[in-house]
Amino acid sequence: MNAPAILIAFPKGRLGDELVPLLAGTPLALDAQALKSRVLRIPTATPGVSALLLKGADLPRYVAAGVASLGIVGSDTLDEMDMDLLELADLGFGACRLSLCALAGVSLDELRAKPHLRLATKFPRATEAWLSREGLTAELVPLSSSAELAPLLGLADAIVDLVQTGGTLKAHGLVETAILGRSSARLVAGRGAYLSEPRRIRPLAEALIAALNG
Amino acid sequence: MPVRTPHFPDLLFGPAERLRRWEDALMGLLAAHGYRELHPSLVLRDTVPDGALRFFDGDELVALRWDFTMALAGLLARRFPEPPERVSYAGAVFRRPVQPWEAVERFEVGCERITTEGQSSTEADVELARLLMAIPGVLGLKSAILHMGNAALVRRPLEAEGLSPELAAEVVAALSRRAPHRVAQALEGHPSAARLSAHAQALLSELDGPASLGALRVSPYAELLQEEVDHMDRALQALLPILPPNLELRVDLADVAGLDFYTGPTLRLWAPGAQQELAAGGRYDRLFPGLGRPWKAAGFCVRLSRLLDLAETRPDLFEQP
Repeated sequence: MNAPAILIAFPKGRLGDELVPLLAGTPLALDAQALKSRVLRIPTATPGVSALLLKGADLPRYVAAGVASLGIVGSDTLDEMDMDLLELADLGFGACRLSLCALAGVSLDELRAKPHLRLATKFPRATEAWLSREGLTAELVPLSSSAELAPLLGLADAIVDLVQTGGTLKAHGLVETAILGRSSARLVAGRGAYLSEPRRIRPLAEALIAALNG
Repeated sequence: MPVRTPHFPDLLFGPAERLRRWEDALMGLLAAHGYRELHPSLVLRDTVPDGALRFFDGDELVALRWDFTMALAGLLARRFPEPPERVSYAGAVFRRPVQPWEAVERFEVGCERITTEGQSSTEADVELARLLMAIPGVLGLKSAILHMGNAALVRRPLEAEGLSPELAAEVVAALSRRAPHRVAQALEGHPSAARLSAHAQALLSELDGPASLGALRVSPYAELLQEEVDHMDRALQALLPILPPNLELRVDLADVAGLDFYTGPTLRLWAPGAQQELAAGGRYDRLFPGLGRPWKAAGFCVRLSRLLDLAETRPDLFEQP
């Protein structure tokens, strides 16, 4: 039996939109025809290496389980999941802030003073860490998308969410009241793949770093 | 493919036969090198750590044997005024898994090399490495990689800089991820940030042969770590000429797994394509002094359950018997 093909997990969505053009013309460029189709396993310009297109929240599991040897995922997702992965490089792109956002006119002090603060977020771990640092307590309202609606409709007093340009916040009348952290795209590797097959995996990791971090 | 096993695996004919054959072959190898078997009880009454399978025996909380090294250390410290130099073991341990696909009941074969004052630790470490180098052949693995590290390369600079336990844990976690940017982030604002970040870069240099040790020459802690580097260099000089075919020896300076336990050289055996290490060990000189005995020790453990899984999922990695 020959060694199995190498799979690299790439994110769909915002990070993926930034990633695909950066890879064009590199050994790991994604096949343009396949990208136009609905398939989620895409050949790259390197024979024997394919890309899996995955949701960010699922991607670390594929890499940690050894299905994909390498992956690219936001550090916000990594921090929330805390999986056993190697994080070989901060690729720099996809930079955004993890921020506490409230309706315009509501200050951080006003939020602090609330006897029962409710925060909607899909980043409970980072939010809890920030609350702990600030000596605050809050009820966390778990949401998986469209968190901007929560303060508008009274589901929560504020949200903790990723902010890149601030356009979506502005459109919903929200402003950033505190920055909890920063996120960017990271190159991750499965521990097993990286340590047991360094000669196969390291050159690919280096090619990705050169293409995306150069 | 991910390895998935039931948490309490029943071994059918093929794996059961393989387990028996491997256990006999490994214990035979150890016996041929002077290791004598000790068999600590399956039930531990004195140490009941988190992660062990615990239950009540009447009013007394007890645990199933969760680790041979700890079980043997207790037995040796209690029952032997002078330690046997070479001890081997075989059997099952029961431990709640870190990864969801790992079994609770795991089969292991391993050995401990114990030295007393005046005996050479280097010779003992090389002896263990030579034994570990023979194991892929005994198990019929077509090829394997042996990673050699040294826990002191991380531990000593962290101790020298007086990092708080929390900050040290953050740095170790970042090194475990092989993420130099996370090391720098964790140390931001600390007086040792520049030195420890530079050291992390040196540790995370390419995994390779003896040349990797050269990366430490540019570390700010080169002088502090000279003894450890010399020790690794001597071990490499002794091992490289006798490296079996199909075994690759790599230096992994950033190996921090088990850093709270290991104090010196570490060894990890991988097979190309395996998702988990197949054997691991190293020097742990603080174990016996913690039990009131001035003995030094090192050892390794072959993780037979992982090998059984690998034989099922990647039979191409093994010679046919």
